[in-house]
Amino acid sequence: MNKGKHLLRRACILAVSIVFIYCSSLYGSGQVSAVSSGARADLITLDAMKMFGKLDKAPVEFLHDAHTEALAKNNRDCTACHLKENDRLFPKFKRTADTDRIEVMNVYHNGCISCHGEMRLAREKTGPVECDDCHREKPLNSSSRQPMGFDKSLHFRHAEAQNKKCERCHHEYDEKEKKLFYAKGKEESCRSCHKAETKDTLISMRLASHIDCLNCHLENRSKTTPNGPLDCSGCHDREAQQKIRKIATVPRMDRKQPDRVLLKSVQKGLEAGSENRNRMNVVPFDHQAHETYNDNCRVCHHERLKQCNDCHTLSGITEGKEVNLENAMHRVDTSTSCQGCHGLKQEDKNCAGCHALMGKARKKADDSCVKCHILSVIEKEEMLDPDGETSLATATLESRNRVNGTFSEADIPEKVIIKHLSREYAPVDFPHRRIVNTLVNNIKENKLAGYFHTQDGTVCKGCHHNSPASKKPPHCGNCHGKTYDEKNPLKPGIMGAYHQQCMGCHQEMGITKPAGCTECHAVKDKPIVSRGL
Amino acid sequence: MSISRRRFLRWLGAAGIGSTIGKSAFAAGNKHFEGYPESYGILHDITQCVGCRSCEAACNKVNKLPVPDRPFRELSVLNEKRRTTATAYTVVNKYEVPGKKAPLFRKSQCNHCLEPACASACFVKAFKKTETGAVTYDPSVCVGCRYCMIACPFEIPAYLYDEPLAPRIMKCTMCYPRLMQGQLPACVEACPKEALTFGKREDLINIARERFRKYPGRYIDHIYGETEMGGTAWLYISSVPFSEIGMREDLGVTPAPELTAGALSAVPVVVGLWPVLLMGIYAISKRKEVIFQQELDALEEDARSRNREDI
Repeated sequence: MNKGKHLLRRACILAVSIVFIYCSSLYGSGQVSAVSSGARADLITLDAMKMFGKLDKAPVEFLHDAHTEALAKNNRDCTACHLKENDRLFPKFKRTADTDRIEVMNVYHNGCISCHGEMRLAREKTGPVECDDCHREKPLNSSSRQPMGFDKSLHFRHAEAQNKKCERCHHEYDEKEKKLFYAKGKEESCRSCHKAETKDTLISMRLASHIDCLNCHLENRSKTTPNGPLDCSGCHDREAQQKIRKIATVPRMDRKQPDRVLLKSVQKGLEAGSENRNRMNVVPFDHQAHETYNDNCRVCHHERLKQCNDCHTLSGITEGKEVNLENAMHRVDTSTSCQGCHGLKQEDKNCAGCHALMGKARKKADDSCVKCHILSVIEKEEMLDPDGETSLATATLESRNRVNGTFSEADIPEKVIIKHLSREYAPVDFPHRRIVNTLVNNIKENKLAGYFHTQDGTVCKGCHHNSPASKKPPHCGNCHGKTYDEKNPLKPGIMGAYHQQCMGCHQEMGITKPAGCTECHAVKDKPIVSRGL
Repeated sequence: MSISRRRFLRWLGAAGIGSTIGKSAFAAGNKHFEGYPESYGILHDITQCVGCRSCEAACNKVNKLPVPDRPFRELSVLNEKRRTTATAYTVVNKYEVPGKKAPLFRKSQCNHCLEPACASACFVKAFKKTETGAVTYDPSVCVGCRYCMIACPFEIPAYLYDEPLAPRIMKCTMCYPRLMQGQLPACVEACPKEALTFGKREDLINIARERFRKYPGRYIDHIYGETEMGGTAWLYISSVPFSEIGMREDLGVTPAPELTAGALSAVPVVVGLWPVLLMGIYAISKRKEVIFQQELDALEEDARSRNREDI
């Protein structure tokens, strides 16, 4: 009898504990499924405590938009979590400054737990109240947050909406007065002052943009005009970013930038010293045209709208990250130098067919320097006023010769039969003229190609490379021997040369036909004849 | 048998000294070997390979291997991953790499290591690293243990199970017979895109680096085979990490023989010392028994004599 009682008691304990474990796991998983949907743009990792030393517990994953939605259902707005400073909402949670460790920790613990607790009492779906349910060692979500920035179109739309009142966003800081002021015509990009981290009174880019953008969006919410987003994903979600309306032709931004300018190696005013003389030919540069090629000024000017040679001096200084002027203009492995950016343009599929196979060498032929460095220094010894410079630059740029075509049709062989190789396969009917015409048509409107392809024969050099441009360039077999050459292993034999050139170009240009061996040459029923070394 | 403890220890000491002398001789095997000077190799530019299987066809023909069921022009073969077999010394595999416009193709065959694992595993010296760079195989001495198949980090050697009377290891010879006649390896000659370059191994490394310089961004900055497993005659350059085209990146730079040299150098010590040690232990235990018996006899004798006195 006694034994039976014991057994019953144990069974009861077991049953209760199973039910308990089951329920608690259900509860946990219910929460997970409620918030977790993979990568999210509104994921904020709460690790503000890091500034006070090593974290005791894992950082907290916080889904901002999920909270905004939940609060909106209860008719609560941003002020439920954000305090006001100077009449403007402050992005940090329930505080305007990071005072000390205990205080900040309490702000989070009291703020989060009390709200979750209240909602729980009201039997509403809410977040956790247990330590480890927030401080999770293993993250539940991943962030798909994309950095947000202004392109020209968005900048223009904001300028229009603010009636061109630049001072609504742009400001400078007065060290003496310790306040912000607006300097007309000296607007800089936000990032020129606001860096990644807050330093003393200079707040971080993240804080500055969230204070300014969101408070302005918030003010305009009630107005009838279209308004910017207030949720995280509105700015930081990739899809949402693509939906932002773009203006096709953005009017030129006005910050008294030059239309055309002469690029010299030494700044104006420093030319006098014997060390700092302009020795290299001067480059006339079409600033206005380049504005249309790029999304924003930062593409070339980095953070500050200064002249290149202010920071990139001839020998390099700290402000220019020790990158000297020559590198800043000519480095090929970067998108920010002239030559680097022009090199990227060669990756366009209309250009890559020829250019990808040419290889990128830092050193170009000597005569390619003068394509940019046009004006000799001697002409420029006397100082020109800005207007004089502009007109000289304009005149020089306009005097440049653009070649977008090639020789006349009659001079271009229509067909070339490639037969001297054929062993296993029959000869190839190579549609020479059709290929030339396609290449020329592809770059007909290309300004960059027009300036750098200086002769009618330049486009021929895509295939007939390594020899001077001419109407009758050498054939492939003139240089590429029949077999692989042990003495010059860098140069392919004729079979390799044909296949590398044809197939390489087709692949780079995204041409899928002809595919397979037999679409170029038919099979000949002949066995392979072995050839010697 | 009687050995004194002192004599046993003397033997042991002698054997110890002997083993250290032996070891210094074996240490020569640990010397860094950079391959035969002027040896040949082949550079496989994976960015150039189009997967036409011309190399496979040429290899099959030159090595007089059986004609496969599906012809070499049939490119659907590439849809599955293949390994080298007893009837195919070389195979080309296709790899779809995320972010690449076109699939990549990689040829695999014996890499002709500078210090081959197969040769070091073979106890009858059936494999030989020749001065041309080719690792050749002599079936006449092979006993068919297939240790080489297990030793090869690239899983290349295959075994001809089908011929019970003449089973043998089948693998790429780097066309050693053709090299001897001044001809190119068949695969290199057949490659229509010159994705394969034959030449002196040192030159090939320079050519590979030259291509890295000329086409920045096209290649990842690594020549596979320059240092892998102490270096191989076949070298590979690619636009993607080699692990994404089925090549092992965990092999390290130590040649296989060096990995085993330490363990193998212990063999003479073990072989030489164990008999001495065991015999010594045997002798000591035997001596104990003898002494015990002697003492027992003495006690018995003593007792007996005492008894005699009592009587």
